[in-house]
Amino acid sequence: MGPLYKFGWFDFAYSLQIAGLIGFLFGFVLERAGFGDARKLTAIFYLRDFAVLKVMFTAIVVCMIGLLYFSVFGWIDLSRVYILPTYIWPQTVGGLVMGVGFVMGGYCPTTSVVATVSAKLDGLVFIVGMILGSFIFAELFPLLKGFYEAGSMGAVRLSDVLKINAGLIALFVCLMAVGAYWVVEKVEQRFGDRGTLPGGSRKIKGAAAALLIVLGLILAIVNPDRIAAKRATASPVEAVKKGEATEPIAPKAEKPASIHFKIVEDEGC
Amino acid sequence: MNVRYANPYVIGVLLGFILLFSFYTMGRGVGSSETFSRIAAAGVDLKAPQHAEEGHYFSKYLSKKRSPLMAWLVFLTLGAGLGGLFSAFISHRIKGEVVRGPLMGVSSRLWLALLGGILSGFAARLARGCTSGQALTGASELAFGSWVFMFSIFAGAYATAYFFRKEWL
Repeated sequence: MGPLYKFGWFDFAYSLQIAGLIGFLFGFVLERAGFGDARKLTAIFYLRDFAVLKVMFTAIVVCMIGLLYFSVFGWIDLSRVYILPTYIWPQTVGGLVMGVGFVMGGYCPTTSVVATVSAKLDGLVFIVGMILGSFIFAELFPLLKGFYEAGSMGAVRLSDVLKINAGLIALFVCLMAVGAYWVVEKVEQRFGDRGTLPGGSRKIKGAAAALLIVLGLILAIVNPDRIAAKRATASPVEAVKKGEATEPIAPKAEKPASIHFKIVEDEGC
Repeated sequence: MNVRYANPYVIGVLLGFILLFSFYTMGRGVGSSETFSRIAAAGVDLKAPQHAEEGHYFSKYLSKKRSPLMAWLVFLTLGAGLGGLFSAFISHRIKGEVVRGPLMGVSSRLWLALLGGILSGFAARLARGCTSGQALTGASELAFGSWVFMFSIFAGAYATAYFFRKEWL
């Protein structure tokens, strides 16, 4: 049962190798999408190319569905996944400022790395800027501390705030994504350059959209929150062991899972 | 830029699986901006070690046991650099240039890149993450603040895009 690291399957040194692997794949797919080029990235803000939104929403929806299904099948314990805590005011203002930085500088942090390795000088300058920006924040931190902690709500999820179950939220997110794809493709056809936009068959897109909605609908009916709660009450230790036995790549399967395994690292990003 | 880029939906699905793999193995998502904050912290630690002591924002990265750069996200960013390099290499996209619109000068573009980077680095610390660490990771686990953050990015960028149109178009 995942998350493997939280059940003590491997140590810190091994986790760094996994980080390298995940990073490699991450950087690879971003470059494939053309996100090492600031003009491709910023085209979304001039309604010409919505690749940024399509990649982001698709990744979010796929990962969200994956997490919820994994939770329903008992493959991952979502209560052990680090949920980013909500600090509503710094997040709102930080988002606005980052948006300005994005359209001004042409990149966001990860894409500037991809730009830099493809020899774009502006990407490297952006990275230097980010290091300076972090330094400025750290120096001003005593002044900003109050605001940095403002609007703290803890590790809340959309389902906690809106008081609906996570399955229903997932369905809404799927519907929103499909709606957003439809709208941005209409906008792209009007303002975009058809020569550079990737094609894709209408049939496949329709089928994928239908699949998304069906997967969301199943989640809304199944209600992953309820199943996770039921599993937690029914002997959590046994569930853990069963999950490990079915996993073939267990490197340290003979070592019993330590339930109290705790990471001391700061997990914020 | 003669090679057509990959279909964004396909890339999105792949990225979703990569994120899911990260959650399954590590119980956390991806991120980038912390790396640059840690680089700044390492710099401060090198030049003025007593400056970043107790109470300073960077002190959370600095322990006696290991270097501030010995961190999960730093290795992830290194990997991202290698992955991007490999992809750019196989499609012959490694080309030294300053990306900008036809009406934009090189030096003004670089100044804007620096300023944008400063805003981005500052904002990422304020919001506790960037487009990957907050928006992608948090949104897929349905964290409330991350959704707010993501829409704020779009709001901030769309609201000011008009003023930077000469930089790109």
